[in-house]
Amino acid sequence: MSRAADVAASALEAAAGEQADALVVAERSGLARFAASEVHQPTLIEDVVVILRVARDGQIGIASTNRIESEGLRELAARAGEAADSAPRDDDFAGLADPEPLPEVAGCDDATAELGPDDQARLAASAIAAATDYPAYGYFTSGVTELAVASTKGVSASQLMTDATALVIAAGEGASGYADRTSWSAGEVDPAEVAREAGEKAARTVGARTLDAGHYRAVLEPYAFAELLQYFAYVCFGAQSLLEERSYFCGRLGERVFDEKVSIADDALDPRGLPKAFDFEGMPKQRVQLVEEGVARGFVWDRQTAARARDGAATTGHAPPPSLREYGPLPFALSVAPGEADSADDLVALVGDGIYVTRLHYLSIVDPREGVITGMTRDGTFRIREGRVAEPLVNLRFTVSVPELLAEVPGLTREPKLANQSDYYGERFPYGVLTPAIATTDFNVNGVGSAPGI
Amino acid sequence: MAVEAALAAGASYADARVVLRRNQNVSTKNGRVENLLDVESEGIGVRVLVGGAWGFACDRRLSDEGARAAARRATGFARAAAGRHDRRLAPVEASSGVYRTPLERDPFDVSLSDKVEHCLRAEQALAHADVKVTQAFVRAQREHKFLVSSEGSDVEQELVECGGGIDALAARDGLFQMRSYPSAHGGWSAQAGWEFVDGLGLEREAPRVGEQAAALLSADPCPAGVTTIVVDAEQVALQVHESVGHPTELDRVYGTEASYAGTSFLKPDDLASLRYGSEHMNVTADSTTPGGLGTFAFDDEGVAADRDPIVADGVLRGFLTSRETAARIGAGRGGSMRADGWSRMPLVRMSNLHLEPGEGSLEELVGGVDDGVYLETNKSWSIDDKRLNFQFGTQIAWEIKSGKLGRMLRDATYTGITPVFWGSLDAVAGRDEWRLSGLTNCGKGQPGQSAHVSHGASPARFTDVQIGVRG
Repeated sequence: MSRAADVAASALEAAAGEQADALVVAERSGLARFAASEVHQPTLIEDVVVILRVARDGQIGIASTNRIESEGLRELAARAGEAADSAPRDDDFAGLADPEPLPEVAGCDDATAELGPDDQARLAASAIAAATDYPAYGYFTSGVTELAVASTKGVSASQLMTDATALVIAAGEGASGYADRTSWSAGEVDPAEVAREAGEKAARTVGARTLDAGHYRAVLEPYAFAELLQYFAYVCFGAQSLLEERSYFCGRLGERVFDEKVSIADDALDPRGLPKAFDFEGMPKQRVQLVEEGVARGFVWDRQTAARARDGAATTGHAPPPSLREYGPLPFALSVAPGEADSADDLVALVGDGIYVTRLHYLSIVDPREGVITGMTRDGTFRIREGRVAEPLVNLRFTVSVPELLAEVPGLTREPKLANQSDYYGERFPYGVLTPAIATTDFNVNGVGSAPGI
Repeated sequence: MAVEAALAAGASYADARVVLRRNQNVSTKNGRVENLLDVESEGIGVRVLVGGAWGFACDRRLSDEGARAAARRATGFARAAAGRHDRRLAPVEASSGVYRTPLERDPFDVSLSDKVEHCLRAEQALAHADVKVTQAFVRAQREHKFLVSSEGSDVEQELVECGGGIDALAARDGLFQMRSYPSAHGGWSAQAGWEFVDGLGLEREAPRVGEQAAALLSADPCPAGVTTIVVDAEQVALQVHESVGHPTELDRVYGTEASYAGTSFLKPDDLASLRYGSEHMNVTADSTTPGGLGTFAFDDEGVAADRDPIVADGVLRGFLTSRETAARIGAGRGGSMRADGWSRMPLVRMSNLHLEPGEGSLEELVGGVDDGVYLETNKSWSIDDKRLNFQFGTQIAWEIKSGKLGRMLRDATYTGITPVFWGSLDAVAGRDEWRLSGLTNCGKGQPGQSAHVSHGASPARFTDVQIGVRG
């Protein structure tokens, strides 16, 4: 039995006599953050968090602690019990889950799990050394996260996950470029290659010009489209947004919503992503087709939203952790079907006249029901002229309706890329979006901001 | 123990922070409990300078073994990741003392049952035929922390905060609108006792909130154009946060936050010369503000709390600093270093950052507008990596015609460039309209850290602002 599973079992023992489930997240990680080509914020974290949910006849209370010795767990059980006693009965409570068979998934690499501070510092140094023309800003991080769920109804799930990410902004006065790589195997992440990609992009941003507001054709690199899609997914692909009539897809299931080249799934089982076998209730992860050839097909569900829907809906294995419960089930393994273009340059040729966007910054939902999102471009924005990437542009303010952006898609690239989406707040939970680059006929630019660079 | 171990391992400087944090979060939705969460976390974080390089490591175990392990790992990481610079800290006197948040009623003495009841009562008062979702939430946090440094600082602080809020989500015929009180994104919090939550008056305000959410479904969209806007105190607070607070963090100015939150349009030599805004703009950093979420006796480097001008009469007068960045710029002594719990390294953060009040009332501000828009309660927010181009949306707005509020408007947005926008500030309402907004979701750092900060502000008026941006 794993360490996290041991802790989960001990928490249940401490809550003897209760109906309960225990979720444990154990983390060991290192992050060597650098700026101006020097490590300035190196952080090592070790923690074990146990979250105990007690259900007393429909009254639900949750408590958590990182004191995992017997006294801490006894007090945890008492606090969870007190919380349950304080809650009115919830007639919609779906009950504790029965155990279900779990899929086998990839996602754990022994070599990555064994990386220590010296390795993390060495790999950060590798990125710094490869950033020869511009100073490097970014980090290398690796970690091992153990997730375990156990319940008094017999659920017993545990998974060891590894992850590694190198992220680099190569930047100087009036120039900056971005790149990242993430994988559950550190062997797939070459920090030097990431730094070189960022440096080459930065060199092309010198002399950035401004741009008039307006609707442009555009190519979005995977970094850019991944973040846009993740934000859209937060407010539109979860079952709670359907039940509360906040989602763009309300009343549109089965309808053509996007260009037929666009298919989107949530697939935590895909070994090319950051695989997960089960959700935060221990229910098996399922691949969920959200959009198929432009037609809206589904939402992600957990047992709670399925029970509230009262229409035969079932969990798809997307129960959130208690800290995110207010948002309901969310997709954290988005996967966009690739297209037929060999490269982003081919998409540029398809676009002909427009803009090229490397990545985005500080997105915000303007209108969830219409899928309107605003944000800035950053670290590599260019004009496209005559089917080629042309002069660099300053960072652009955009405000786009994602459904309008995806209404006409000239093409997508053949090779998807895993774009990291984790910012490592709270307990470590690596996730990303697997997506190709994409071309659109409608990207609304409504202002300009700062020039590239520091 | 941790500091001794770090020095023995070769550190030239070390500090150790022990943090014990407890949170209670209660939320209800549509008449039932959505979440009832009682969270505790404790541990030790050790920060060291070895050969001029930083290292940080933490351990959840509050034991000699945990302290020594964290110190050993921090010094090891600093050695492994050594750079070429020799980082120096601005000199400060060793600090010692004990500080506790003054409060009347400890929020942890309020039972969870009473917290649930508080939410349910407020929620019931939100009810309206077009309101599909009602929700209410309250929270409490106690952070008991100890700081010891190799320079002799020895500080104990117990910071207690609590807060709450309500939301009404209305939907009809494919339209969705939301109204919140006292703000969106988690309500308001303060360092105070439960008397603060009682004082919010969630149940009292709920009928208005529910009615406005429903009324927004019939409101016209905010038109596009360039006009005069009057912004309520809560949205002004967020404007201060995003376009004054973050760009004046000196670590951003020096580029050390470039890979995540971004940098700043400000340069170190802008100090005392850059015109940030009009003469009506006076911004103060104040970690002594009663009730502020950024109030303390000492920051997480042991520097004593203070009150400093950041912008005076529209001119940049100060940065938010750490001991390291203060030494680098050659001015100040730090005082803005804060960490999110025990497992993160302190960063330069806002504490409490206020737009100082001007004169008159909100009514007088509106009365001075012939044609414009009044905007209330943040809905969306975005700003570029140098904090120049911003775009905000608000939950509700009203047109202003001949000095009076007119029809209600939905989906209002405004956008601008930071110094241009603040340069168009032509009035700030007076002390009677000044409110302290407490935010709990300020993100920064890698790995990510959330900070709790407060901003005092009065409603303010800006001219020639672009409004009504749509996708």
